[in-house]
Amino acid sequence: MNRPPKKITLEEWDVRYAELSSQGLREPWYGGPLRRHVTEGDYRLRKLTFDNSPAALRLWNFLLTEETRLHRARKEGKKIIGAMKDLGTVPVMAYAAPDVIAFYPDGAWWIPCVMEMSTRDLAIADGLGIGETFCPVRAMLGAFVTGEHFPIPDLLTCSVGATCDDLSAIAQRLNGLGHAILWWEIPHRRRPAARERAVRLPGDFTAPAEQVAFVRTELERVRNAVEALADAALTDTQLRDGIRQANRVRRCLCELRRLVFTAARCPIPALELQIAEMLAIHFCSDREESLAVLTDVRDEAERRVRAGTGIAAPDAVRIFWVNPVADLYAMNLLEDVGGRICGSEYLFSHALDEIPEDVVPMEALARMALADPMVGPAGDRAGRICRDARAFGSEAVVISRIPGASHCALEGQVIAGVIRSELGLPVVEIEVPPVADAVRATLRTRLEALVETVKTRRKR
Amino acid sequence: MTTVLYSSPFVPPEWIAAHGHRPERVVPGAGGEASPVITGVCPYLRAFVQHVRTQPRVGAVVLVTSCDQMRRGHEILGAESRVPAFLMNVPSTWQSANAQRLYLAELTRLGRFLVNLGGRPPSDKRLVQVMLEFESRRAALNEQAYRPGKAARGVPLALVAGPLLREDLALFEIVERHGGRIVLDGSEGGERTLPAPFDRRQIRADPRLALAESYFNAIPDPFRRPNGPFYQWLKTMLAERGVRGILFQHYLWCDKWHAELARLREWTPLPVLDLECGDDPAGTRARTENRVQAFLEMLT
Repeated sequence: MNRPPKKITLEEWDVRYAELSSQGLREPWYGGPLRRHVTEGDYRLRKLTFDNSPAALRLWNFLLTEETRLHRARKEGKKIIGAMKDLGTVPVMAYAAPDVIAFYPDGAWWIPCVMEMSTRDLAIADGLGIGETFCPVRAMLGAFVTGEHFPIPDLLTCSVGATCDDLSAIAQRLNGLGHAILWWEIPHRRRPAARERAVRLPGDFTAPAEQVAFVRTELERVRNAVEALADAALTDTQLRDGIRQANRVRRCLCELRRLVFTAARCPIPALELQIAEMLAIHFCSDREESLAVLTDVRDEAERRVRAGTGIAAPDAVRIFWVNPVADLYAMNLLEDVGGRICGSEYLFSHALDEIPEDVVPMEALARMALADPMVGPAGDRAGRICRDARAFGSEAVVISRIPGASHCALEGQVIAGVIRSELGLPVVEIEVPPVADAVRATLRTRLEALVETVKTRRKR
Repeated sequence: MTTVLYSSPFVPPEWIAAHGHRPERVVPGAGGEASPVITGVCPYLRAFVQHVRTQPRVGAVVLVTSCDQMRRGHEILGAESRVPAFLMNVPSTWQSANAQRLYLAELTRLGRFLVNLGGRPPSDKRLVQVMLEFESRRAALNEQAYRPGKAARGVPLALVAGPLLREDLALFEIVERHGGRIVLDGSEGGERTLPAPFDRRQIRADPRLALAESYFNAIPDPFRRPNGPFYQWLKTMLAERGVRGILFQHYLWCDKWHAELARLREWTPLPVLDLECGDDPAGTRARTENRVQAFLEMLT
């Protein structure tokens, strides 16, 4: 069943799928050929290249069936929480409760890409006054209005305060359309003052104890709402178990990232790795299955590393990537021009770090929420990127700006400045729209220039 | 006495003054290019940072977390280290006791910052005295500014906006030149953001709490979540002042104000004129004048 690692097109996957099926491929209920997703409207798949392993097939099928699985969960009587913005905290609480699942409505920001602008979501957002000066997360408004994607959640939460203005404004617009939202506050994380009690957070950040206590109280409000929704108490024991389960996912992902970033030959493509990382933020609506999917991908990576095989050339340039891309194609492009991913920070590193298990669960969740790279100074975020880039041996950094995102432009400058001064690495900033076909040549040129710069530096 | 600059209406000047400093609310001019150049920020933040950089005898600056841009502004100014900069967490949420406690705690933290600048923590008596002085002065100014005489003429308009640049103040003249009159100033520097009168019982029992409540619980602003009180305030004031049209101004890249435009249009039966301010104040002004003129022609 195993073939040498290779990136293949959708057409090649048709052949590969037939071959795997004839060899007795066993799939979960949501499995099937990738081609069927195109029939359902995910047209972008026609332009992408994919890893050729059964593990990657399972990963893609898991990702692309999320809406189906959410509708199925609703039919099974499960309660659904739409957790907006916090990217990793509320879902840990939600999955700890009986028969409750959570997903990120903000994940709709990939709909315009995956469905190649074939839906009405952005047009609806335009009509609601949320135009192109906002980030692609505005597609979420269209998804709520049409109800054609995810089921309307039973409970909507949104973290606000030191979060991005785009999402806060769009969520308020959603609220104005009649969707009730439980707003909870995440304050700007500041450095503890002298003589102020400090708490160490995941990701090596610190915060004053009083800020942690504040967030803990805010999360208690969310906990009360989850309990009301579940019609059952959400005990510390359940939360502790929820944290343990989340940490199993995070440890698996951590191991996968380590394998990919440090291997002599890159074992898993950038695109599949980015999708794998995304599973951590809300388990793609199924916590147990997400662990199984990730375990498969990690095992595949391990096999390839042991065999000394991979999907990129041995001399591929080791790139650290900052921010998620609105068009998934950009991750393919990086490898097409001779790069490979060796480090990433997609704005949710707090969803990858292990949640502390040695403190009471609500304290642990509060610490995790405050470790969100977005809620602190851009300088803190840059510091973490530098640490990781150094640890993974990155040779250059790509900062991918999110179109319309009000925080990105300045943050990008700060991060680029810190990287240049601390690491002396070349940095390139790019902006990737939801469908990047029109700027493909420009993107390619910029990434090629970065790769060539690194190769020249190697010769010195 | 140290001059402490600030911009947000959620920073109580009484608190700064009670610590022995001079509060100065900034209305920056767009001016020319900021130096060193700042890119990737809204026109207001660029002007604000440039103002702080260029003012002589500035002792400190206080910014708040009401938007991404001002948060980043604190980073810019903090990195330059020319002027001590304080970032005050003003919660977006307001319905929980926890949010109110955070605001109060942030006032206390601001107090420590002001003491480090050479100020003195105020006694309750001193704080009450300063609060009442400021309240009295505000009341006198409001009487003049927001109670136009019966003789006032022109189509009554409301201005709904975030913070204004000095150049934006010309809007008042432009409106009058074309036959209108701004009878409701809902901009960030206007009557919308005035604190509530201090609770006389509370001020005796706990002046800090009275101060916090008058600011945090009373100022309606689009950045708050949910922001229903902003619309409740508008509903009352538009009716009270007999407003016939709304001028809505927002800056390019200001998501929180921009997102309210369509909602405001859905919400009100009054005509709403969108005045978007870009990076070029001169170009913006010419366009604004034309648009206001046409708007008023329609309403006349």
